[in-house]
Amino acid sequence: MSGPASRTTASEPRGLWGFVRDNGLGLFFTVAFLLTLAGQAIAGHADFNHQMRADQLQPVGFGTYVTSSDFAVDVAENWQSEYLQFSLYIGATVWLLQRGSPESKEPGRSGTESDKDQLVGEHARDSSPKWAAAPGWRRTLYSNSLLLVMGTIFVLSWLVQSITGVAAYNEEQLRQLQAPVSWFDYLSAADFWNRTLQNWQSELLAVASMAVLSIYLRQRGSPESKPVGSAHDATGVEG
Amino acid sequence: MAGRAWSTAVAVVLAGTVGACGTVSERRDDVRAAAAAFETALGESAYDRMCAALAPGTREELEQSAGTPCAEALSEESLPAGGDVRGTDVYGNQARAVLAGDTLFLSHFTTGWKVVAAGCRQRPHLPYRCQIKSG
Repeated sequence: MSGPASRTTASEPRGLWGFVRDNGLGLFFTVAFLLTLAGQAIAGHADFNHQMRADQLQPVGFGTYVTSSDFAVDVAENWQSEYLQFSLYIGATVWLLQRGSPESKEPGRSGTESDKDQLVGEHARDSSPKWAAAPGWRRTLYSNSLLLVMGTIFVLSWLVQSITGVAAYNEEQLRQLQAPVSWFDYLSAADFWNRTLQNWQSELLAVASMAVLSIYLRQRGSPESKPVGSAHDATGVEG
Repeated sequence: MAGRAWSTAVAVVLAGTVGACGTVSERRDDVRAAAAAFETALGESAYDRMCAALAPGTREELEQSAGTPCAEALSEESLPAGGDVRGTDVYGNQARAVLAGDTLFLSHFTTGWKVVAAGCRQRPHLPYRCQIKSG
């Protein structure tokens, strides 16, 4: 990922277009996220009401649906798996290597590396974030802040999935003339683990294939790929 | 028991904040009132009122399976007297009312909570067996 706008070394862009150019990646994915979330809400609402009509029950309005547990669990189950994927990737790439992959550090650099390599403490530069130079817990916290925040979002999303999941599950149980279950019972229910694991497996497959395919395949111009002419065994080289 | 209490608290917070109109206690009260009204009508053999309290799909299924109008079909069903409402579960637009002598399933419609199934007996690991229910 490229650095923030303040560190741009090319000609300094100005105005709205400059902002868009400097933040295109974040803006593109944020807009794409909002559009697909809206699309999910529309499709989910139609699907939910299809089930209601099939059961000769009252369809719900769009506003009711997007605040329902049925919609919330579908959103949360995907969020938790995405944040788990990135949390695992951030954590695993500290210690695990993949020879030839641009996603991996070079062999021999496994671990949290030296203060000099990481530009912390006395090795921090003038442009380093303040807490990189700070002693004690602040440096430790900042040194792990990305994994901590991504991991926390994962845990919270998974918790939300479990809470909204039991409500959605119980609504369906009642529709099928069955008794509702408690939250603790739901944590061991097939529905909870089916929702969870079907997302985890796809995320782990995507990461594994990215780590391995990027050894041999290239995308010219992408920092996620090695330069097209790089050797297959060149590790930690980004294009 | 602490775990069960926590679980119940989570469920209550949930049921009240996700996908519902009104607070948890309001919706529980509405379900309790609908179930009680149904039982009162049953006790008075007021079959027209009972029919009005049924969900459209349940009423249709009852009339089709009996081959008679709703009130007449209900009079021949011999539904058990439910008695007092001992507990309710409300999730989204669906609810269960557990009575002393019966269990009712209800669903929320524009016109209020309606009885989807009545005369229900619990079966282990299976849906309740109900005397009247939607097709």
